[in-house]
Amino acid sequence: MNELILLVPEAPAPDAPAAVIEERGLLHAELRLGILDNSKANADHLLRMVAERVRADYAVKSLLTLRKSSVAMAARPEVIEQLANDCDLVFSAMAD
Amino acid sequence: MSRLDEFLNEAKSTVRVADDHVAVQRLFLERGWSDGLPIVPPTAARVEAMLAYCDRPANAAIAAMAPRYGAVTPIRVAINAVMAGCEPEFFPVVLAAAEAMCDPAFNLYACQATTHPVAPLVIVNGPIAREIGMNARVNAFGPGNLANATIGRAIRLALINIGGGIPGAGDMATHGAPSKYSFCVAENEDENPWQPLHVERGYARGATTVTVIATEPPHNVNDHSSTTAEGILKLVAGTMRTTGNNDIYNYQDGTYPQPLLVFGPEHAQTVANGGLDKRDVRQYLFEHARVPLGAFSDEYIELRFRRKYPDAPLDTLIPIFKRPEDLMIAVIGGPGKHSVVMPTFGATQPITLALTRADGTLARSVLDFKKRS
Repeated sequence: MNELILLVPEAPAPDAPAAVIEERGLLHAELRLGILDNSKANADHLLRMVAERVRADYAVKSLLTLRKSSVAMAARPEVIEQLANDCDLVFSAMAD
Repeated sequence: MSRLDEFLNEAKSTVRVADDHVAVQRLFLERGWSDGLPIVPPTAARVEAMLAYCDRPANAAIAAMAPRYGAVTPIRVAINAVMAGCEPEFFPVVLAAAEAMCDPAFNLYACQATTHPVAPLVIVNGPIAREIGMNARVNAFGPGNLANATIGRAIRLALINIGGGIPGAGDMATHGAPSKYSFCVAENEDENPWQPLHVERGYARGATTVTVIATEPPHNVNDHSSTTAEGILKLVAGTMRTTGNNDIYNYQDGTYPQPLLVFGPEHAQTVANGGLDKRDVRQYLFEHARVPLGAFSDEYIELRFRRKYPDAPLDTLIPIFKRPEDLMIAVIGGPGKHSVVMPTFGATQPITLALTRADGTLARSVLDFKKRS
């Protein structure tokens, strides 16, 4: 049977550098932890529990908790900037 | 030299498969490249034919499509348009619609990923809609017209394959909606007693535009009885007045939901004969399409409304849309005493884009895209 050559419709994800915790030496430092609450019901409770679990296993220097004003909208640039500047590790994105 | 050469030299740009209908369909389903319906195999020759109606660089990104942020290039869109069954003359509309929904204000990331049954509706206005034979009349949202069906399907395939809106992965809709297969219509400008949608949104009547709106499927307003403008609008308001839609609470950060009201031409004519223009319609529905706070559960009120209405009693009437000017109005459909209301995803803004050639001039015909700049 003959073969067809077809064009692939799928566009790959743009290249993004993977963040590897070991390479950044975070496991040996005091973590600056961040939480971005997406404002869905119970997000605050779950994310707080995640943060407490991290505290149990790692040295946590600080915890910054911020909240999106709308679950359906991207976080404002100043929120992202603050998390990027003040945190080594950020937990986000949950649904109720 | 082919316009595909650069693309074809990229890794993983092609796939080999037996020249057999079943094998092709199975491959595209297995790879997650299909919407579940049979596709037209995207051969190089078919994609080249599609690109004959594109005067932009074929392999250059014009946008990034969320949530994967895949590059929206004419070639990638053309591949999906071929798969959908588009005629090459439809391609300028497909490309413009794909570009429009990548505008950040449209909030495609959330529209694609949400559990809500939203899909981007494409409304086409202007001469090219007529030139390519789009249906604005009987059964406009339904089956039977090649342009409506395949342009809408091409957009869905692009949302899956370029944007990564893969069911169960990038698209987490609880139920989904039939409008996620295809959702494209033209406005019935000939039977619109008011300004058509694109003129109202700042474009010349001779321009061809795509307006993308992230909406639910149509909710019908059946009114064979009313003979006055107020009578019809009373029924429209009653249909808009629902608790379970996103528009009623989803406003913040300076953005306001813009639900869509689609008049059937007979209803539109009755309302216009009553001396009402679109502004009057918006004002009436702003005042009457309201839901009492007490219609919502206590938990819902706490979560959605208490910060906005801190001390409001339960008989407070909450408007479906927050400012009269936020109601979108179009006239679409054929004979019959029906209109439809279409709530939106809420956290989204409609986007209108004119079909322009690469040099920025307005396209008057699809043939304009065959003249290379």
